[in-house]
Amino acid sequence: MLKLAAALAVIGMLAGCGSEKTGPSPFVSALGAMAKNTVSKVKGGKTEETTDGTVKTPAERRAALEKAGKPILRVSSKTLGQNAFVTVIDTKDDVLTWKTRDGATFSQRNGVLIQTRGLGPDLMSAQAPSVGQLLAAGTSYQRIYYFLGDDDQGTRRTYDCSTAIVGKETIEIVGRSHTTTHVTETCERPLGKLSNDYWIEGSSIRKSRQWVSGMIGYIDFERVID
Amino acid sequence: MQPSPRFLLSSLALGTALSTAPALAEMTGTLNMNGVTGLIDMPSGDAQKDATFSFSMGVVGPITRTTLSFQASERLSASFRFQTWRDWDTLIPGDDKETDRSIDLRYQVLKESRFVPALTIGLQDLTGKGLFSSEYVAATKTFGDKLKVTAGLGWGRLGSYGGIGTPFGNRPPVSPTGTPNADQWFRGEAAPFAGVEYKINDYWTIKGEYSSDAYLLEDDERGLIERDSPFNFGVEYQRSPNMRFGAYSLYGSEFALAFHIILDPKSRATGGVVGPAPAPVKARPSRSADPDAYDGGWVTQADAGPILRENLAKRLAADGIAVEDLAYTATTVQVRIRNGRIDAGSQAIGRTARALSHVMPASVEVFEIVPVVNGIGASKITIRRSDLESLEYTADNATLLRERVTVTDAGPVPDYSLGDEGLYPKFRWSLRPVLRLPEPRKGDVGLRLSGTYDIAPGLVISGAIYKELASNRDGGAVSTSPLQHVRTDGSLYNEFGDPALERLTFAWYARPAPDFYSRVTVGYLERMHAGISGEVLWKPVDSQLALGVELNYTKQRDTDGGFGFGEYDYDVVTGHVSAYYDFGNGYLGELDVGRYLAGDVGATISLDRVFANGWRVGAFATVTDVSAADYGEGGFDKGVRFTIPLNWAMGTDSRRGFGMTFRPTGGDGGARVDVDGRLYESIRDYHTDGLDPDWGRVWR
Repeated sequence: MLKLAAALAVIGMLAGCGSEKTGPSPFVSALGAMAKNTVSKVKGGKTEETTDGTVKTPAERRAALEKAGKPILRVSSKTLGQNAFVTVIDTKDDVLTWKTRDGATFSQRNGVLIQTRGLGPDLMSAQAPSVGQLLAAGTSYQRIYYFLGDDDQGTRRTYDCSTAIVGKETIEIVGRSHTTTHVTETCERPLGKLSNDYWIEGSSIRKSRQWVSGMIGYIDFERVID
Repeated sequence: MQPSPRFLLSSLALGTALSTAPALAEMTGTLNMNGVTGLIDMPSGDAQKDATFSFSMGVVGPITRTTLSFQASERLSASFRFQTWRDWDTLIPGDDKETDRSIDLRYQVLKESRFVPALTIGLQDLTGKGLFSSEYVAATKTFGDKLKVTAGLGWGRLGSYGGIGTPFGNRPPVSPTGTPNADQWFRGEAAPFAGVEYKINDYWTIKGEYSSDAYLLEDDERGLIERDSPFNFGVEYQRSPNMRFGAYSLYGSEFALAFHIILDPKSRATGGVVGPAPAPVKARPSRSADPDAYDGGWVTQADAGPILRENLAKRLAADGIAVEDLAYTATTVQVRIRNGRIDAGSQAIGRTARALSHVMPASVEVFEIVPVVNGIGASKITIRRSDLESLEYTADNATLLRERVTVTDAGPVPDYSLGDEGLYPKFRWSLRPVLRLPEPRKGDVGLRLSGTYDIAPGLVISGAIYKELASNRDGGAVSTSPLQHVRTDGSLYNEFGDPALERLTFAWYARPAPDFYSRVTVGYLERMHAGISGEVLWKPVDSQLALGVELNYTKQRDTDGGFGFGEYDYDVVTGHVSAYYDFGNGYLGELDVGRYLAGDVGATISLDRVFANGWRVGAFATVTDVSAADYGEGGFDKGVRFTIPLNWAMGTDSRRGFGMTFRPTGGDGGARVDVDGRLYESIRDYHTDGLDPDWGRVWR
C-alpha cells in the first residue's frame, strides 16, 4: 500500500502530458497563480509600497493612476485576498464591468453590484435597487440574489430591504476627499439578514461595501477615478 | 488567469466554517467503524446528508474494514465493504488471511421529528457468504443539539449476543452465496443493542454502546479477538467537514481506530466554479444609429469566411473549445464546436455565443451552436443574438435565456459550410499517470500512453499502451471457472501483459438519420478481447428515453498484451438491446438485455446518480442463464462504480475524471466487451437532460 501511495504521489506531480493543450495541469496552474498574485497587490494605509519597492504618497499614486486615462475602481476583500485597482472592460448603458488581473470581473449598475465572475462562489445576477431607491430612505423593496448552488443548480435568495440615511460624511479616496451621504441598506429574509453600505456623492456611488455571496461575504469598492 | 490560491484557501476555510455550522444545529448522523451511519460498531437510525459519499477505514486488532458508502437519496444508502482478517490461521490451519467483500443497504423509514425518532432498517452483507451478515432496525432520537440516543434490534451477527428469542423463525444457512440471502433476513435469534453519542464541542464527540455482536467468528472460532465485554467506548474528532477520526475501546480488550473521508458531490471544495470570467457580450450598434453595420453584403466577400473562423477559433481557444466547422448566411451562423475542457455543456455554449457576438457582423441575428462529440453533432442550440445582448445583465438571466433558446437535433452539416480545415487529419497523444484499483486498497499505478489520429470528422484511429510502475496486488488465484475465462484470467493479463497494448481501434461515428447515432469500432477493443463492435442509438434531444442496439463479434486476446489470439481460440457473438431512462434529479437507469461474452444470455440493470459537476455514483447487477454455481462465489455479476471529476477536486476546469468499479466477486458470467465511445454517454451532456440541470452556467 505504501509503495503504491508513494508511486502515485510521484506520478501525480507529473500529472500527465500530451499534444492536446486542453489546460494546464492543476499543479502548474496553482503555482502560476501564486506567482501572478504577488504582482497586483497594494497595501492599505496612507503610504503604499509599489511592486518596485518605492514608497508613494496617495497624491503620487493618484497621479500615476490618472495617467492611464481610464476609470479606476479599487476592490478589496479579506476573503479574496484582494486589494487592487481595476479597470473597466465593458460599458453597456448604466452597467460597468471591471476586471482584475486574476481574470475575475465585477459588474455594477450605477455602482450597485449585480454580477461577479471568476471568484468561485459568484453572484450570477441580481435584482438590485437603483441609486434613487437607495436614497429614498424608509421605502421597502425586494432584492433578489441569484447563484449557482448545490450541484450547480440555479438558486436564489430573496430579501425585503429598506434603506436608512446615516448622515453626511466626508471620505478620502487615494488622496482626494469627497462629501457623501452615507446610506445603509438593510435586507432581511426568514433565514437571515445582511446590510450594504453606500457613500453617495450627488447621485453616484463613490464608495460601497456590498454583499456578494455566502462564502465571499462583503467586498469594498471605491471609485477612484471616474 | 486563475483565481488566487489564497482565495481558494480562505474560501476552503470559510466553507469549513459554514458547513460545520448547520451540522451543529441539525447534528447529522456520524459514521461508525463499518462505514455506515451509527455509533462505534453498531448502526443507528440516522442517515447522512443526501448524496454524501464516504470512504471509511476501521481497524480492530487483526481485522480491517474498508467501506465506501453513498447516500443515494435522502432515505436510501448503500455501502460496499472490503474486509480482511489477518492471523486467520491462529486456531485452524490454512490461509493466514481471509478476505470478504460485502454490500449493505439501509433505508430510513422514519425521519426524526419532535416526538418521533429516526428509524432505519438495514441489511448488512446482504449477498455474501455470511461472514458479516446482519439485519437491524435502529431508532435514534436527538435531545437538544448535543445528545443522541440509539436503540435497536439486530439479527444475524447483530443478534448473536444477549438474544431475546427468534420472533421470525430459525435462520437457515447461506445458500447459494452471492445472491440476496432473503430467506435469512430477520430470521434467527434477535438481540437488542443501544448506545449514546454526546457532542462535547464542535470538534469532539464521545460515544458509548452496548453491542449485540458476540464476535463468534473472530473470538470463539478463530481466536483473533478476546470479547470480554459487550461495552464499547470511544472518542471522535472532526475538524473539517471532510475528515473524521475515531479511537475506541472495544469489547473490553481491544483498541480500535477509525478514519473517514467524507465528500459532498453536490458542492465543490472551491465553493464554486473557478476559472476566469467570460468576455462580456459585444453590443451591436443600434440599427437606427448605424444602419450600414446591418448590411449583409459582407457574405459575398471571398475572404470573409476564413477570417471569421480564424477570429472565432482564437477567442474560443482560451476556453479549450475548437471550431470544427462554420457556416453562415447574412443572418444566421452555425458553428460546430468541440469542447475539450469545460465540464458543463451550458458553459461551453455560453462562451461560444459570447465569442460569436464579438466576431460575427451585426447582420447575423441567429446563433446556431452544434457541440460535436467524436466528430458527430450531438444537438443544436439556437440562440437569438438580441436575447443574448438584452439579458446579459438582467436578473435571473439564466431562466429567461433558457425560455428563449431552442435545443434541437444537430441536423446535417450545411452545404455551404467552410469545411474542417486544419483539424483533420490530426494526431494527438498524451502520457498520463493511471491508478487502477480493482478493490479499495489493492491495485497498481502506471503510465498510459495514448494516441488518437483523427482522419476526418467521425473517423478515428486510437490506441493506448499501459506500463505498470508499482503494484501491491498479490498474484491472484488461478481461475477455476467452468466457463470460458473471458474475465477471470485478469491476473494473467496483469502478469504477462506488462507493458500491454490496451486498445488499438478504428472507429466510425455517424448520424444515419435525425435522432439516430451510430458507431462501428474495429480492432483491439480492450485488454482481453478484440474484434468488431457496432451500435445504433435512438435519442431525441429532449427525450428522457433512449433506445440502443449493439452487436459485437470478438476473439479473446493473448495474455501478453500483444496482437495474438493463439492462447484461447475463443470467439463469440455478443449483443444487447438497451433502454436508457433519465428519471430526473440526476438518476439514470439502464436496462440491457442480450448475450454476454461467455455466451450466456441475460440482462443487466444499472442505476446511476449523476451530478452536474461530473460526479457519478452507481450500481449494476447482471443476471444470466449461468448457474450461481458456475458463476462462482458471487452467484451473479454485480458491483458499484463511481467517478470523481478532477475539476471538483482541484478546481480547474477539465472534463477528465477519476473512475472506478468495484465488484464483490469476479466471474465470467454477465461480462460485456469494454469498448470505448459508447454513444449514450458521449452525447447526453448536450441533450436537454444533460444541459438543463446546470443551465445557469451558460452565463458563467
